[in-house]
Amino acid sequence: MQKEALRLRVNGSLREALVPHHRSLLDFLRDDLELTGTKRGCDDGSCGACTVLLDGCSRLSCITLAHGVPGRSVTTIEGAGQPGRLSDLQLAFISEGGLQCGFCTPGMVLAAGALLQRIPHPSEEQVREGLSNNSCRCTGYGRIVQAVRRAAGAPEETP
Amino acid sequence: MIGLPSFRLHRPTSIEEAVGLLAEHRDDAKLLAGGTDLLVNLRHGLATPSHIVSLAEVPGLDRIDCSPEHGLTIGALSTLESLATHPGVEESFPVVVRAARTISGPTLRAMGTVGGNLCLDTRCHWYNQSFFWRQACGFCLKKDGTACHVAPGSSLCWAAYSGDLAPAFLVLGAEIKLLSVRGERRVPLDRFFLDDGLRKFDMASDELLTQVCVSATRAHLRGVYSKLRIRGALDYPLAGVAAAARIAGGGTFHEAALALTAVGPRPFLVEGATEILEGLRANDEDAIERVAHLARRLSNPMNTTWAMQPAYRRLRVGLFARDALREMGERGP
Ligand SMILES: Cc1cc2nc3c(=O)[nH]c(=O)nc-3n(C[C@H](O)[C@H](O)[C@H](O)COP(=O)(O)OP(=O)(O)OC[C@H]3O[C@@H](n4cnc5c(N)ncnc54)[C@H](O)[C@@H]3O)c2cc1C
Ligand code: SF4
Repeated sequence: MQKEALRLRVNGSLREALVPHHRSLLDFLRDDLELTGTKRGCDDGSCGACTVLLDGCSRLSCITLAHGVPGRSVTTIEGAGQPGRLSDLQLAFISEGGLQCGFCTPGMVLAAGALLQRIPHPSEEQVREGLSNNSCRCTGYGRIVQAVRRAAGAPEETP
Repeated sequence: MIGLPSFRLHRPTSIEEAVGLLAEHRDDAKLLAGGTDLLVNLRHGLATPSHIVSLAEVPGLDRIDCSPEHGLTIGALSTLESLATHPGVEESFPVVVRAARTISGPTLRAMGTVGGNLCLDTRCHWYNQSFFWRQACGFCLKKDGTACHVAPGSSLCWAAYSGDLAPAFLVLGAEIKLLSVRGERRVPLDRFFLDDGLRKFDMASDELLTQVCVSATRAHLRGVYSKLRIRGALDYPLAGVAAAARIAGGGTFHEAALALTAVGPRPFLVEGATEILEGLRANDEDAIERVAHLARRLSNPMNTTWAMQPAYRRLRVGLFARDALREMGERGP
């Protein structure tokens, strides 16, 4: 098995490990760095639970090789906010009830963050399109969309 | 959890180095672009190379040059998202952008590349499964087995080509450039795809697709891409129809072309459509129906997906073709 030293900036700090060539970015984050906030769902790119940010853009870490993104900067949900210092987006997910079991939430929050970087004030349609690589099996998406729009400054919706 | 099999990753920093590695390892090597198809297939044991040649550090392969004077050239490593959001391509070659925008979602489009999309493996519900599933249900001709479950007795594989960009490039008469240590060759895209889910492409294992080129003479054609799928996002096409045409001042069809995807082992131009429509009025319902019928007749979807019946996919090909021709006749790009 071919192993090689890997250096990646993860959540702002430089991390190093001896990693086999065939390790996915997801396995590197979860197993080598013990950053288990990034979730393993389908392992084939179709559910979005493993979404992380690579230089600010969303990326599916289960179908990315750890050695395949040299020199890039990775942000996982652990780097998106801290207990007691949550991001506006995380707070909006809580206040709008944009989660139930929570398994898809790390990926949703990061994908939504990347969307708001591209489109600061998205329409409902744009939020739905922007999150279309992320599946949620509990909420029915309505409250997730609402949370993202609230975080972007859209007024509260009356039921 | 299904781990990735072990392999050696090569990260060439020049195109010469990349083709040199392909020449050295031939069938035991696979090119890695965005990895959105290949890594899934590796996990499922559908490809088992010892060497992976990553294109991530090869410079100069991700340029999109687009002008009405020089036409369109797209580097193979350009991402689907950079194509889907390119204002110049949208203006001059709208059918390409329309097709790109239907692919999966924005995260995947930012990873997947144009070269990887054209060279996508063909798909079938007996094939795109885990090793465990395939072992339990019976391997097939395409990988590890001896018989086709879709067409028992056939010596061909009928897995469906399921890329969305190919038909859009086909209606624009695109060419691709293939590079190897033996030199470069240009291939018209409609000769690149083979009607066999096993061999798939006219591309040797040591060749690398570097560019897709569309001539300036095809700029500003009106274009439509329609795609049949289960959900409004994420899914591969179960049938796809691309159409392009120039509508002259008097409202007549010129250079009209239709191409189909996901209804056979290769994407293909609807032969005869251009000749039927040339010079006819864009509201000639009779001609439109004839072409729609032709498209439907030439499509050959097989039972390669549980999601939809072949007959329904075929029916929709005809309806997509009819509606695309009507839409191009009625309004601008
Ligand atoms: C959830 C999901 C949904 C998807 N939905 C769609 C969809 O709706 N429509 C669609 O068309 N596709 C879809 N795809 C498939 C795929 O993501 C895209 O087609 C993408 O463009 C593939 O590009 P890539 O760079 O990731 O390819 P890779 O996985 O890197 O490569 C794919 C194949 O092409 C070969 N290859 C790559 N680049 C070159 C090159 N330059 N020269 C020669 N060979 C090369 C590789 O060796 C490999 O065999 C989907 C995939 C997933 C996981
Ligand atoms: S068409 Fe037949 S040979 Fe091809 S993948 Fe499906 S079952 Fe296998």
